[in-house]
Amino acid sequence: MSIITRSPFLFRINTGSCNGCDVELATTAMIPRYDVERLGCRYTGSPKHADILLVTGPITARSKPYLLEVLDELPNPFVVVAVGTCPTSCGIFRDSYSIEGPLDKYVKVDVNVPGCPPRPQAIIDGVAKALEIWKQKIRDIK
Amino acid sequence: MSAEIIKFFIFPGGVFAVVLGLVLISIERILVARFQGRVGPVFYQNIIDVIKLFNKETLIPKDAKDFIFKFAPLFGFSGMLVMVYFLPIPGVYEGVKGDYDLIILIYFMALPAISHILGGGASSSPYAAISVSRELKLMLVYEFVFIIVALTLAVYVGGGSGEFSLKKIMDYQIQNGCFLFDWKLWPAFIAFLIFVLATLEVPPFEVAHHNHADIMEGYLIEYSGAPLGMFEITDALKIVVLSIIFQIFFFPSVIGDDVMINLFWFLIKTLFLVGFIALAHASLASFRADQEFKFLIRVPVVLAFVSLILVILSVKGLI
Repeated sequence: MSIITRSPFLFRINTGSCNGCDVELATTAMIPRYDVERLGCRYTGSPKHADILLVTGPITARSKPYLLEVLDELPNPFVVVAVGTCPTSCGIFRDSYSIEGPLDKYVKVDVNVPGCPPRPQAIIDGVAKALEIWKQKIRDIK
Repeated sequence: MSAEIIKFFIFPGGVFAVVLGLVLISIERILVARFQGRVGPVFYQNIIDVIKLFNKETLIPKDAKDFIFKFAPLFGFSGMLVMVYFLPIPGVYEGVKGDYDLIILIYFMALPAISHILGGGASSSPYAAISVSRELKLMLVYEFVFIIVALTLAVYVGGGSGEFSLKKIMDYQIQNGCFLFDWKLWPAFIAFLIFVLATLEVPPFEVAHHNHADIMEGYLIEYSGAPLGMFEITDALKIVVLSIIFQIFFFPSVIGDDVMINLFWFLIKTLFLVGFIALAHASLASFRADQEFKFLIRVPVVLAFVSLILVILSVKGLI
């Protein structure tokens, strides 16, 4: 069963991020230098395919229902990675009237990748840590 | 009887074709990664993906048509599985010897797209509905291209009357030289390559199931678990079937009588086709739906017709 942990599908959702973290996520997916595919990862377009959820942004009031919907749609077992400072602690947007974060109000966050924005290497390291946690979750289910 | 069962389930159909197809898709991913300067996944990545998908939870939307949603992937899968058993592989496998198997091939090649349309239509997602409408429009054109190419070859081999047996098309080329080196069929060959890209939905024809852009995986959006794995396996079988068709239509050269050497030669030719697909995937951007439709109706249809006219002229003895 350890072989299936080498095929994580990633899904990313932007919950009101400034796009800084999204650009860094795009570099891990698309540009040559940082290759997340060699871990076996694949970016998918639907949360129902995903094993690892990457969240960016401080969770604005506007984006909260969509985040909750995505969390409902993820098949078990899944791992949540908070990319950047915003989903971890809301960053500079903390105490703003329109912010409903941080992320751990709604779901247990498995990996935090701090940084504003985090470097692509840090994101890939976060995904690698998420893989270990995902492996543990699969073992617990069995 | 048991020999036929082995042919259907082990070699060349069933297990062999599925594993070969999944490895070919992984190799395509590796080649795309290398073209972009990355390392890419391991060569058995898609096998792991499929094993994982079969172990995952399957979610079914509340509004979906339950039965069609669950069983739509089986249409395409069973069609392609039968096709691998059905088609001859040059020098390796005789196939089912029928006189009209070219026509059956034309019907069966539409089945994966029909399973996408059924599955997407039953899944109650607006994204899937958009993707299904795009896929339907494109299917009308690329199936047309395939039919004209097949007809061209049938007319050429039959000398004007139409020869619909794949075995005879293959034997004709083994005796008289491959169609790949016949200038009259070069337009049809280019049209066939465009058909391969369009039916596999790799860029530039990715518009029905983009996953980075507007449509979010299209008809696959509501799928998860085992049905999604079935779609992956269908794609894998499709790439094998397309490679076999390419070799029957244009390049059925064999080396001697030995099955193992011919199998090796078959795999090399398949790898060349996969390399071409990866090159197109890595170097071309995606069209919009309308651009794609116009391109398909202008370029490959016209090329296929040019070939058909050249073949008719040559059969009549005019060139």
